[in-house]
Amino acid sequence: MRPFDYYKPKDFQEAIALLSQEGKKTFPVAGATDLIPMARDERWLPDIVVDIKALPGLRELKLIDEGLYVGAAMTMNEIAASPLVKSTWDVLAQGASSVGHNQVRNRATVGGNIATSSPAADTPPSLLVLEAIVVVRGPEGERRIPITEFFLGPRRNALKKGEIIVGLILPTPPEGAVGSYHRISRRHGADLAIVGVAVLAYPKAEGFGWRVALGAVAPTPIRVPQAEATLSAAPGKPDEAVISQAIQEAVAASRPIDDIRATAKYRREMIATLMRKAIEDVLEKL
Amino acid sequence: MLHEITLKINGEEYQVAVKSHHTLLTVLREQLGITSPKRGCENGECGACTVILDGKPVNSCMVLAVEADGSTIETTEGLAKDGNLHPLQEAFIEHNAVQCGFCTPGMLMSAKALLDFNPHPTEEDIKVALAGNLCRCTGYYRIIEAVKDAAVKMEAEK
Repeated sequence: MRPFDYYKPKDFQEAIALLSQEGKKTFPVAGATDLIPMARDERWLPDIVVDIKALPGLRELKLIDEGLYVGAAMTMNEIAASPLVKSTWDVLAQGASSVGHNQVRNRATVGGNIATSSPAADTPPSLLVLEAIVVVRGPEGERRIPITEFFLGPRRNALKKGEIIVGLILPTPPEGAVGSYHRISRRHGADLAIVGVAVLAYPKAEGFGWRVALGAVAPTPIRVPQAEATLSAAPGKPDEAVISQAIQEAVAASRPIDDIRATAKYRREMIATLMRKAIEDVLEKL
Repeated sequence: MLHEITLKINGEEYQVAVKSHHTLLTVLREQLGITSPKRGCENGECGACTVILDGKPVNSCMVLAVEADGSTIETTEGLAKDGNLHPLQEAFIEHNAVQCGFCTPGMLMSAKALLDFNPHPTEEDIKVALAGNLCRCTGYYRIIEAVKDAAVKMEAEK
């Protein structure tokens, strides 16, 4: 691993100044589970690593007026075990508990999971159906980015140099909402998802409102609006014909690739299988 | 860049100067001579380097040593007390849960972290706790049986 410098600032001013230095490759780090292997393989060549775990608010998980605030440096296991998350935002707990294995979940953070912006990451489909808001601080102050506008491509996102993900705001979902996340990978534990599907549904005036998001089947994690509209248009619980149509629409909206983990064809079939499982789960709980 | 850090390892305090880019695994093995955590994949996938950091199992190859400043670390070296093996170590021997032994220290630490937190694990709990530890020799069955047995014996000793 090429040597780098490491700092652990306690305030944002210092952290942002360190990260904003011109001519240096600077990396914020929380769990380091992405940074260490990438730096070891010299695919990332940091000059300066800024540990953000001691910054105010990064390790908080609390109810706020808008819903739930999750500090960026909360680990996957902390999120998966949190009674608060499980109470109303359980689909995120399901996503977090699907990441890697126990040792990784004790280090990997939700902020890091979105900052790395792998299309196959396990929390983004859940964050998409929960319509999370990413809170960011940088040289120009604080800004909020809807999760739908955060991911720009494989390992590309809306963050600018010097910006740090502070946390996520998860708005309170509509009354009675239930969610489900299903994923498949080659090895249970450690390997990235071949496909991940998050589904959230809630009662509305007639029938139910549905949100569906897919991971690992497009350059970014995606919502599938047409499939959502089909499910949400059903007068009550969607029947087999409606579910089949929605699945077809979701598959059509995906753009999977062939890679070391699976073929595009297999990924399309797994979208159908996992989306059906997630919908069935949700229907049981609605 | 060098950092003076303090680590409490198996009850003993160590002060050590570490480089920014060195992992906890490197510092344990090469600076402190604590070699039960094994250098396996160095990619967070095999679990051979597992240690317990502030009560939680982590891959020591996935933690920068400087990040661990001020923390408490447990490794397999600290399991036996006064010449007596830990019940997990005894159970691994009784159940033939060790063959080449390379994965064993990591397995033991993942299992200890589980039992410290959950003294009555189900088989599923054990599988989840050990999912990050690869063994290429024994098959996992004997390891799972050993952990179950150790849980029963540890409860009886209380």
